[in-house]
Order: sequence, then structure tokens, then C-alpha cells
Amino acid sequence: MDLNWALIAPVIILEFILMIVALVDVIKSDDTNGPKWLWVLVILFIGFLGPILYFVIGRKR
Amino acid sequence: MGQWFILFKKECMESWRNYKWLWMPSVFLILGLMQPITTYYLPDILATAGELPEGSEISIPIPPAPDVIAATFGQFSQIGILVLVLASMGIVAGERASGTASMILARPVSRFSFISAKWAAMLLLTWLSYLVGYAGSWYYTFLLIGEVEATNAIGAFFVYGLWLTFAVTLTVFFSTILKNAGIVAFLSIGSLLVISALSHTLTKLLAWSPGRLSVHASSIVSTGEGADHFFLALSVSIGIIIVLLILAYYLFKQKELVE
Repeated sequence: MDLNWALIAPVIILEFILMIVALVDVIKSDDTNGPKWLWVLVILFIGFLGPILYFVIGRKR
Repeated sequence: MGQWFILFKKECMESWRNYKWLWMPSVFLILGLMQPITTYYLPDILATAGELPEGSEISIPIPPAPDVIAATFGQFSQIGILVLVLASMGIVAGERASGTASMILARPVSRFSFISAKWAAMLLLTWLSYLVGYAGSWYYTFLLIGEVEATNAIGAFFVYGLWLTFAVTLTVFFSTILKNAGIVAFLSIGSLLVISALSHTLTKLLAWSPGRLSVHASSIVSTGEGADHFFLALSVSIGIIIVLLILAYYLFKQKELVE
């Protein structure tokens, strides 16, 4: 399969940015809803929905 | 007006602190870019993944460009709506649960400003995210599949945007009358799914429904014209959005008196 990486790169970069921002936030935060290590796993392994899930329900106000 | 703008800015700052300005446009952009990409590579993906007998020809015609934009609306209607509901479920309910709302409302702040500033800030974020995703989809469709008539694409953008506006307004409405954000999300997604499903099946009976807007948007992007009863659905949707907002304000005011 001949993939045009120039076209797919923006999507990968976006997902990467989401993941990094979520990871930095989870590491810096004092407390999360649920165990921290679980959120790290969710952010790393559930595609782009992982970071979103963390932002929506993982962060404590 | 000055007071309204302060509330509006406060709401935008709040969304910034929750990273909503980052993740909402990102989700829409990812969805928008992936639709043309997967459409374009679908024959290749099937060729590598499918277990077809040796030598069989695969001929999946690449759909016309407007159909790819219509398919993007389909993506926005699923994950897009989910994201919008999750982002706006706590907009009033969360503040009431945490006590922030009563702190703000202890000052001489108009209840209508309070609700409408939140609603407007959420809509700004919604339209910006949607614009980014839509532009991305349009651009990639142009690169990979073909051109879409600009006036059609822009017309469809606004019509479908009204459906998203309706979804956000409904969520804000539930968020005003209920205290639990989880229940708000559940009710909003549930009713949006029901409205959408019913409007797609009972096309005659529900010709006026906001759920028909996605059908009209898909029709506009390919033919330049909405489906039957387009203006009826358009005006009723705008009407329902305004009524929901005003109703949210009255119920919010009354609820406060009771508490």
C-alpha cells in the first residue's frame, strides 16, 4: 500500500499533541478522578479518545 | 452589555483552563481529515485486510466529492455530537454543584445574562471547532477526491451547523434544569439520537424537525438545494433553539426561588 505520509502526518501530530498535553496534565495534577496510573494507561492506549476522556471526566476541578 | 461580556469572557477563560480550546477543535479536525483519507484508501485497506480469493478484482468506485463531505457530517453526528454534549453537560450543572453559580448570582447579575453568556461562549467554541474540522475535510476531499462547488459547501456548512447549535442548546437546557452532569449527558445524547432516528424514518410527519437538517445539508452539498420542506425545518429549528434558551432562563430563575 502506497501511503502518502504528508497527508496523514497532520492527523498523527494532532493525536500526539493531545496525548502529550493530557500526559503532562495528569502528571502535574495532585489528584484525579480515579487512580492516576489508570489515566496514564487510558491516555496512552485508547487512541485519540483516551486524552479526551481524561479531559472530560478524569480531571478534578 | 458590559456585564454580559465579562461573563462571556469568564466562560471562555474557563474553557481554556479545561483545555476545551485544544481538544474540541482537534477532535473535529481529526474526524474531518480522516473521512477523505479513509475513503481514498478504502480499496487498499480492503485489499490488505480482506481475505479475497486469489485473482479477484476489487473495484470499489471512489464516491463523488460531495458524498465525502456528506459522510463527514455522519462522523460529526456521532463522535462530534458526543464531544459537544460532553463539553457542555456541566456548563451550568457543574457550577451549581460546586457552588460557583450561587457565588456569582449573589451579586446583581442578570439571570438571563448568566445563561445566555454561557450558551454563547459554548457556541463560539462549537462553531470554531466545527469550522476547523469542516475546512480540513473540504481541503482533503479536494486533494484526494475532487472539487466541491464552493457555494454548495458553504451553504451546507451553515445548515449542518444549525443542527450542532440545536444539540448544544438542548444540552445547555438540560444542564440548567438538572444538577447531575452525567444525567444531563445521558438525556441529551438519548434525545438527540431519538430525534435524529425518528426524523430520518418519519420523513413526512417530522418534516419540520431539526433532525432533518443533516439530510438537507447533505442534499445542499451535492445539488445546491435542500430536500423537501427545507425552509420549514430551517425556521422551526431556529424557533426551537430560541424557545429552549428562553425556557432555560425561566426554569433557572424559578428553580432558584424554590431553593
